[in-house]
Amino acid sequence: MKDKKIGISLGIICFILALALTLQIRTMTIENSIVSQTFANDELKDNLLQWKEKYEKAVEQLDESNKQLDVIRKSATTNASDAEQKTSKIKENNMLLGLTNVEGEGVVIELADGKSSSLVLDASNLLIHDGNLREIINELANAGAEAIEINGQRIVNSTYITCAGNVILVNGEKISSPCTIKAIGQQERIVRSSRKSRGNTTST
Amino acid sequence: MAILTIIIGSVLGILLGFLIPTIPYSASKYLAIAIVAALDSVFGGIASSIKKNFDLKVFISGFFVNAIIAMLLTYLGQRLNVDIYLAAIIVFVGRMFNNLGIIRRYYLDKISQNFSKGKHK
Repeated sequence: MKDKKIGISLGIICFILALALTLQIRTMTIENSIVSQTFANDELKDNLLQWKEKYEKAVEQLDESNKQLDVIRKSATTNASDAEQKTSKIKENNMLLGLTNVEGEGVVIELADGKSSSLVLDASNLLIHDGNLREIINELANAGAEAIEINGQRIVNSTYITCAGNVILVNGEKISSPCTIKAIGQQERIVRSSRKSRGNTTST
Repeated sequence: MAILTIIIGSVLGILLGFLIPTIPYSASKYLAIAIVAALDSVFGGIASSIKKNFDLKVFISGFFVNAIIAMLLTYLGQRLNVDIYLAAIIVFVGRMFNNLGIIRRYYLDKISQNFSKGKHK
């Protein structure tokens, strides 16, 4: 009984010893095949092998990161429907901000200074003023115009219309009579609303 | 019985050692010192069995504890920048030679006894 116990434990110990020896010898043969055994400087050799190990670890990490990236990409493509909604929203907002071209039906308004006649007391009343343009634009915007331009100047959020001497500045560009205002939107609606409100278009 | 299990264990160990992947270079230092400690324990076991005071508990605990402590000392040495593993190797290998001396003398005595017996006949 005791002999059996001793025999088994000796077998286990020899197994462990043989395993460790084989493993160590194999490892060292592989490492020494990378660095020649006649390599005199042990420290350098040690350093080199350690760097090699670090490099291998880094490559493993890179592989892992690439896998993660793949997973993220996949999840991103599954959210495509969500993304589509967002892009359409962005397009809409860009249109409102005047960042994209807009096509469609609309109205064209042409304005010109009035002809002078002896009946008019104040000649200023005959001219187009910045205020007139502002009113028209507000009117058009209220009527649901998606995009408005005056003589090629798009009206956006930051657009300003001011008077400078005998010209009008729109976005800093000089504009004078005749003015062409183009508005894109539902024609019928714009025309109707311009009639309903006192009609700035007719008053000038 | 003992010899059979030793052979089987060794063969299995070598086979498995060829099958499993190799260990990283920085760990090989620790394995090497553990191997030296284990070898010392094995030779110590053989010597004590010759001296007829072999104790299984002492043998097995010596095998594992020596190996583990040698590894820990090596690690400590690396942390402290002192090559403590050199001391461990000197002790283990010195003991290994002592035990080998005991084993050698035992078998030399045996052989010379046999030889003188043969002469007397």
